[in-house]
Amino acid sequence: MSGGDHHPSAWGPHDWNHGAPHNSWSPFILSMGVAIFLFSLGAAYEWGEFQGWGNVPLVFVGLGVISFSLLIWWRQDMSFGMHGEVFEPKSTGAPFQNIDIRKVAMWMFLMSEMMVFTSLFSTYMRYRLGIPNCKTVFHSGEWVEGTAVTCFEPAGHLIASSWFHIAPGAINTFALIISSFTIVQALRYAKKKDIDEDVRRRKVTRYLGTTWFLAILFLTLKMIEWFLGFPLPEFLHEFNHGDSEIKSLYAEGYLINADSYEHKAFDTDYIEKHPEDYSIPEESALYMMMEAGTHPGGKMMANIQVSATTFYVTTGTHGAHVLGGIIGLTYMTLKAAKGGYTPDNAVSIEYFGLYWHFVDLVWVLVFPFFYLY
Amino acid sequence: MSVMTPIFAGLWDHYIFWSLIVGGFAFGWLYHHSFWFTSKDGEKPPNVDELKVGVFPKHYDDMRLEVAWTVLPFILIVWLTYYSWGPLDAMWTSADGGIHGYECEEGQFSNNTMDSSGIISSECYHVIEITGQQWFWSFDCLELGTSICDTGTETMEVYGSVPVLSLKKGETYLATMTSIDVTHAPWFQHLGTKEDSLPGQQTTLWLPIPDSMTEESMVLCAEYCGDAHSVMAAKLIAHN
Amino acid sequence: MRSRTKGAIAALVVISAMLALPSAQSLPGGISGVQQSGCNCHGAVPSDSVVASLDGLPESYNYSETYDITISFQGGPSQEGNVNQGGFHLWASQGSLAVNDATAQLYNENEVGHTEAGNDQVSWTLTWTAPATDTNVDFILHVNSVNGNADGAGGGTSGDMWSKLTITLGGPVEVLEAADPFVVLGVLIIVSATLLAFTLVFVFYRKDPEAFDWDNFAPWLADWLTSTDHKKIGTLYFVAGLFFLGVGGIMAMIIRIQLSVPGNDFLTQEQYNQFFTLHGTTMIFLAAMPMINGFANWMIPLQLGAADLALPRINAMSFWLQPFAALLIFTGVFSGHGADTGWTGYAPYVVSEGAHYGTTMWAAGQIMLVASSTLTGINFLTTMAVMRAPGMGWMQMPLFSWSVLVANVMLFLSIPAFGVGLIQVYLDRVIGTAFYDIAAGGDPLLWSHLFWYFGHPEVYVVIVPSFGIISEVIATSSRRSVFGYRSMVYALAGIGVVAFIVYGHHMFTSGMSPTLRFVTMLTTMLVAVPTGIKIFNWLMTMHGGSLVYRTHTLWALGFLVTFTLGGISGMFFPSIAMDTHLHESYFVVAHFHYVLVGGTVFGFFAGIYYWWPKATGKMLSEKLGVLHFLTAFVSYNALFWPMHRLGVWGMTRRHHTYFVTTEEALGSLPMEAAGWNMFITVSGFIFFFSNFIMVFNMIVSSVRGEDAPDDPWGGWSFEWMTSSPPPNHTLYKLDDGSWGLPTLKDANEHIANEPGWLSSWFQRLMVEDEETGEASH
Repeated sequence: MSGGDHHPSAWGPHDWNHGAPHNSWSPFILSMGVAIFLFSLGAAYEWGEFQGWGNVPLVFVGLGVISFSLLIWWRQDMSFGMHGEVFEPKSTGAPFQNIDIRKVAMWMFLMSEMMVFTSLFSTYMRYRLGIPNCKTVFHSGEWVEGTAVTCFEPAGHLIASSWFHIAPGAINTFALIISSFTIVQALRYAKKKDIDEDVRRRKVTRYLGTTWFLAILFLTLKMIEWFLGFPLPEFLHEFNHGDSEIKSLYAEGYLINADSYEHKAFDTDYIEKHPEDYSIPEESALYMMMEAGTHPGGKMMANIQVSATTFYVTTGTHGAHVLGGIIGLTYMTLKAAKGGYTPDNAVSIEYFGLYWHFVDLVWVLVFPFFYLY
Repeated sequence: MSVMTPIFAGLWDHYIFWSLIVGGFAFGWLYHHSFWFTSKDGEKPPNVDELKVGVFPKHYDDMRLEVAWTVLPFILIVWLTYYSWGPLDAMWTSADGGIHGYECEEGQFSNNTMDSSGIISSECYHVIEITGQQWFWSFDCLELGTSICDTGTETMEVYGSVPVLSLKKGETYLATMTSIDVTHAPWFQHLGTKEDSLPGQQTTLWLPIPDSMTEESMVLCAEYCGDAHSVMAAKLIAHN
Repeated sequence: MRSRTKGAIAALVVISAMLALPSAQSLPGGISGVQQSGCNCHGAVPSDSVVASLDGLPESYNYSETYDITISFQGGPSQEGNVNQGGFHLWASQGSLAVNDATAQLYNENEVGHTEAGNDQVSWTLTWTAPATDTNVDFILHVNSVNGNADGAGGGTSGDMWSKLTITLGGPVEVLEAADPFVVLGVLIIVSATLLAFTLVFVFYRKDPEAFDWDNFAPWLADWLTSTDHKKIGTLYFVAGLFFLGVGGIMAMIIRIQLSVPGNDFLTQEQYNQFFTLHGTTMIFLAAMPMINGFANWMIPLQLGAADLALPRINAMSFWLQPFAALLIFTGVFSGHGADTGWTGYAPYVVSEGAHYGTTMWAAGQIMLVASSTLTGINFLTTMAVMRAPGMGWMQMPLFSWSVLVANVMLFLSIPAFGVGLIQVYLDRVIGTAFYDIAAGGDPLLWSHLFWYFGHPEVYVVIVPSFGIISEVIATSSRRSVFGYRSMVYALAGIGVVAFIVYGHHMFTSGMSPTLRFVTMLTTMLVAVPTGIKIFNWLMTMHGGSLVYRTHTLWALGFLVTFTLGGISGMFFPSIAMDTHLHESYFVVAHFHYVLVGGTVFGFFAGIYYWWPKATGKMLSEKLGVLHFLTAFVSYNALFWPMHRLGVWGMTRRHHTYFVTTEEALGSLPMEAAGWNMFITVSGFIFFFSNFIMVFNMIVSSVRGEDAPDDPWGGWSFEWMTSSPPPNHTLYKLDDGSWGLPTLKDANEHIANEPGWLSSWFQRLMVEDEETGEASH
């Protein structure tokens, strides 16, 4: 179907003077892409084991199809608000009179997202409170070197153990908070009536771009925290117990399949040699048993799969939402660079802003509960 | 209806009574109105509520009636809850001084008795263990003497080889249950009771064997557990 | 030319990618190169002169029975003075092997070999115990015949000869070989696409036989695949839902064949488990929910006097997620690896390796459906909040709209919990997370809570729109407005709220604390109050009215009978001492089929006969409608009513077979149960086929039905104020003869658009934006 006034192409671009698109290939193709992706991921991995490279191309086909469908969606949306084509209907009914329909929709969406994170938090709290803490188990002495015990090791035990370790998480928190500020600034400049078009274009692009950059920074630091770790300059080594690097969670063995996890905090030999790092309280059963000679000490091995699972999946789900935001921000920054945001359609930045504030709010809850507590 | 225990039968009869009253009332009303208020096409029906396309019609309500059929069902429900409360208490009575007392000492017997509503109470109870796994039951009499509790196997014509649990009439047992793999649930059919056996956790189930208990009855798995769920059976023998 | 080719190429690329790429799916037993291709045992060469044999196995094994088997061989390298001797290695893919003496050793229960002591023999005896399930067992035997040159070159093994024997043994019920899911899925796609293509081509041909060519067909098809119009999407949902209703029905018929006689072997246990799983999942997620969305998509904008939904492209997205999700959900079902966890998918079975491979895709497909439902919820709630016609305050909405509103509120607040649970299951099965890993501390009850927190509101989600349809149908048929409109709304809202706090009643026997169980008992019983209010209000609606009997009227009255019965049977469960007996029995099956089929589906039938003329512009035949009603209603009750009794007798759900007590043998049910099961099966078939009367009616109506007027039944809501069918861009016939968006008038004294006290309070939270005059946040 090639373009014409009344029937714009279902592949985009769209003439918004006529209202929302009547036809779009995007939903069909997006659904197909999601199905391919979930199907092929389930073939590429089974029970945590990689099933061979033969399955991997299909995963990328799925992702490719999803990206393609998003391109169609954006192609239809790109002209929205430019050249005076605006279609932003407002509510007629109480209690949302005169509020943009899409804003009401965004709030509804955020309510459902709240339920998602509530369920994840509930899972975490159920296991955190129901499974005995590894430190408690260690101090109780009810373990034997070489046999794994099941216990809960909060990620905070590793991450909040030093200022360096928590640095990526702390920087991330500030990055998100600042990005919530920059997105509001982008909205403000888009809505301002009495400024030069060119100034508006540059300011909005810059603020959206900064938000985008901060979000990328967030995910990069998260990857460092999870997988890469980072080296420390020499003069800081002594503050880090002589260690030359901050190890990533992956390097520490904090993994979803960790059924024989070991840590120096649970190693009586290490504790003896480095009393300034860790100690066994004298009232604890372990101390008394070691004094009495009924416990040989040694390294406690733990099955911490549930701890790692709840940590990675909850923070990972949040990270996936940040990634979704980055994809949206990419589109918005490109559109802004073309001068696509005017006071007429500035409210669409506000819709994204609502989502972004929500993502920020979730992080503000995730950070203390998973990293500090 | 041979498989109803007295406690079940008592509740069942009471609920059926009220179901007949409520159902009779509703269906009688429906039957009457379906015939009394018919109209034929072509007749000009009286437009009592001013039905017209595009016009929200006149309200048709009656506060007294609406309150009546809010309050009356509410009262019935409160009554039914109250009526079910006793049996509920009996099914889940505490193991620490509830209607079955405390665990029996050596040589003590439960000597359970059943009251008029089918609720059984005992002087004390015996503890046994039930373990579920894919796809068979394991019974463990712990330290009880064979006259109180015994286990074995038997070949049944239809189920093949099944474990057998042999318990004494007049005695009450508390089964502590767990599972080795997935969730199962033993349904003691002629005792009208079941409870999940969960992996990694322990649940309990009261098995009060009255004097009137059927001699041979089946125990079936009542929580889907995979391929041989249907034939994961056991036999309960109640002896004197 | 361009966009059509683009689309075709894109589709071809994707489909061929899916079919062409090899799969590497690990088999349960593991592919071992040694087993399949053989080894050169100790450097030996394969030879036909060595003949291996395995004796003692039966024609087909009995469950869990132990057999003595003898392994022996003849032949081998001939050497003077050397009796052919050697060693062996045996694999048995299922069951367990055991050794009798020191001449053989057990590597694991599936693998046995000779020992040093048993090194030079010609036969060995072992035992093998058959599995407890129906499966095909593969025996692979390697024997090695030595030439006795212990001191020779090659370390003493040169010159040895070995041979292989394979035997496949079946159990009491024959099991077909499983196929590769990738291949099966590909075939499924091709077959259903072909069937669909034929249907579409035929429909297109019927539209206009003169214009039957590609240049007209492609844009017509593309329009349907890309449309964001609520009417087209409603039709798509409806057709898909009806199709899957049939598919679910076929599965039910197969289940009923298996259950018609005790001890039946029509289906193996594993097959049966997949059938009841898919039957439940299909009926709820692929039939009931889409049909509700079909009605909602069609009628909500019309009833509100709007031009479309608030978010049309998202609406299309909600639909298209469903057919693709269906493909995932059905993965494996034809190859014997379909999901076999029950639609409730309890942990930890759902994350165990025993649950078939299809379970992973079943979870993935449902994750897509969760996304679809969430988007639907957002869309409808927004639409109803913001796009009502002038004059239509909240308390002037038609009751069907109210029911869809309450259903969507329940849905989108509860389904994310299910989605999280599904993601946990998917991740456990795919990347190996430990959410439900018992050894790592996982808790099966966590799944139960997440699932039933969603599951209970879900069953109200599927019944509440039927309530709405019944309100419309009874009121219109009686030529009255609904009795107690306000209390109907409050009852709906009450049901919506209480739905969230009663879900524990599915977990009475799960070992939860008695206090929680008591609270759940009371709240569950209380749900009967608002539901009862609705039933009495419907009955009162007929009072003083002039009932005109049409097919939809019959279905609505039938609903009143069956739904009331289902509600009453539901009241037995909260009484705990009855629940401990009835839980997981056929009494439960009877109850929920009474409320789901007798409630939801009968409501759908009423809605179909009521709104078909509006949507298609053609009338349905009343005669066929009455015939449909009579046969279906009677056979339905014959089908499900006896199940109450079977449940009390002790017939358990999800059992592929049952045994009755005869003179010779003790079973779990009395003898009469067999006869009743057969009666139920026969009634089931009659019910299944009776619904084809309705399908036939639909086809006849489309081909040569009488044209429908704007308002054939005398309804008042806005959908009757437009043509049948409505124009492409939804518009209404206004009083002055023009087409546009309407304003609602009110026969009561009511000030249009004045917010009630709740809305006024809420509005104070909104802040006016000075610059644009628009309220923000």
